[in-house]
Amino acid sequence: MTPQLDLRNVTKRFGGVAAVDGVTFSIAKGEILGVIGPNGAGKTTLLNCISGVYRLDGGDIRWHGVSIAGLAPYRVARLGVGRTFQIVKPFGSMTVRENVAVGALFGSDSERPPLRAAFDRADSVLELVGLRMKADLPVSALTIPDRKRLEVARAVATRPKLLLLDEVMAGLNNVEIDDALEMVRAVHETGVTVVLIEHVMRVIVGVCERVIVLDLGRTLADGQPDVVLRDERVIQAYLGERYARRLRGG
Amino acid sequence: MADLVQLVIIGLLAGGIYAAVGVGFSLVWGVLNIVNLAHGALVIVGAYLTWQIFTASGLDPFLTLPIDAVALFAFGYVVQRGVINRIIRAPLLFTFLLTFGLNLIAVNVLLLIFKSDFRSVTTAYSGAGLDLGGIVVPYIRLAALGIALLVAAALALLLNRTRVGLAIQAVGSDRDAAQLVGIDLRHAYAVTYGLGAACAGVAGGLIAMIQAITPTAGEPYTLQAFVVVILGGLGRVSATVVGGLVFGLVEAFAQSIPGSGSVFANAIAFGVMVLVLVTRPQGLLGRLR
Repeated sequence: MTPQLDLRNVTKRFGGVAAVDGVTFSIAKGEILGVIGPNGAGKTTLLNCISGVYRLDGGDIRWHGVSIAGLAPYRVARLGVGRTFQIVKPFGSMTVRENVAVGALFGSDSERPPLRAAFDRADSVLELVGLRMKADLPVSALTIPDRKRLEVARAVATRPKLLLLDEVMAGLNNVEIDDALEMVRAVHETGVTVVLIEHVMRVIVGVCERVIVLDLGRTLADGQPDVVLRDERVIQAYLGERYARRLRGG
Repeated sequence: MADLVQLVIIGLLAGGIYAAVGVGFSLVWGVLNIVNLAHGALVIVGAYLTWQIFTASGLDPFLTLPIDAVALFAFGYVVQRGVINRIIRAPLLFTFLLTFGLNLIAVNVLLLIFKSDFRSVTTAYSGAGLDLGGIVVPYIRLAALGIALLVAAALALLLNRTRVGLAIQAVGSDRDAAQLVGIDLRHAYAVTYGLGAACAGVAGGLIAMIQAITPTAGEPYTLQAFVVVILGGLGRVSATVVGGLVFGLVEAFAQSIPGSGSVFANAIAFGVMVLVLVTRPQGLLGRLR
């Protein structure tokens, strides 16, 4: 079966430095995949390659078997690849509902909903992420966790088949992380494939069926979380001995 | 008292034109982050279009306004798509240079076609006005104010209540996020500039009915649009309208100062702008970002 997304030898250089260096993996429909790695490992760069923000310097990216390398970002989005930003990027001049409605209006290529339908969809997505009560607020009135929810809601409203989440849990406290986990699960249950960049191990272990570890732009490990997180190379490069000991002990 | 009322009326009527010129300039600045130095030239292109149609066919000049709007929209769309889009992410100086160049080209093409003679649109009702007990309100200027407000209202409605308007707002807020929810940036930019040009065209058509025009008559309007937008505050149509009306009023009162008021009217109007900037940097109705 053709994978939903297939990366082959994906390479992106900045000057002489390869931020992403020959990364190869594929994602099946319905998977929930975690991407971890130290700062500067190339995680966000990889997302930018997939969503078309960066042009590849090598390799190919296929969506259901068809190459999408070199497509403009809006075309990738319309194919069904949703995306959030690590540093949230709301449309500041609009209300929460309008932000999400824009996602519903423009996301998918197959469907061009009228304005009313887009706002209805915005409301149901806001319900899903738990922002329904704050729909009419300006973005500036939202707390940080809520802004992260809005970021996810806007991406979900585009009807993605694959959702790329860039550190949506960073900076949240434990209770907020539990809520956010619940939200990611809810989105995943609607049939969306999810790729999750995350530093919070609890999140990776909590929801991911598979983890890829990046280091210096290369794939260091790829497999089930409990196997990958015990991998000696992963511990050395990223997790550190203390985490490994806690994992063994607990 | 009658003098005061007359001044307010003169100011508001002039302000309507400033608002009409300002709304397109404000849209392009707010969304594309381009201070469009060719805006005044677009205004005058609209003015000549009205004059040409009126002279050639005798069509009522007010009926030429939709033609101005459509023609300038198409022109603006093509210019943005083909030329300005190439440097849209470049530093401000590059867009300054480019739009200044476009301004020069437009003005010189007009000089080539129409020469530098003064042209004016004179209709049967050109001199007529509403007499309110000694205060005369020229019909054309009154209609121009009405149309300016109508254009502004239509633009605000389009931005807030339509698909393309929401796309423009989204692009103005955050380009990266906009393209990643599926908005075609180059198209959205071109529509934005086209709308700005269409507003300029309508404003030009109105100006052709009010004053004599030459190919170089547009330059002051670029400057005035700049002041009006700063005065009102960037980012909202209503703010630009208020900025335009306030600028018109200040200018009218400055001109009425006995002695050298008329000489310093511009200086006084700019002085008020500086004063507003010092006390309210976001403009009268603007929101701090």
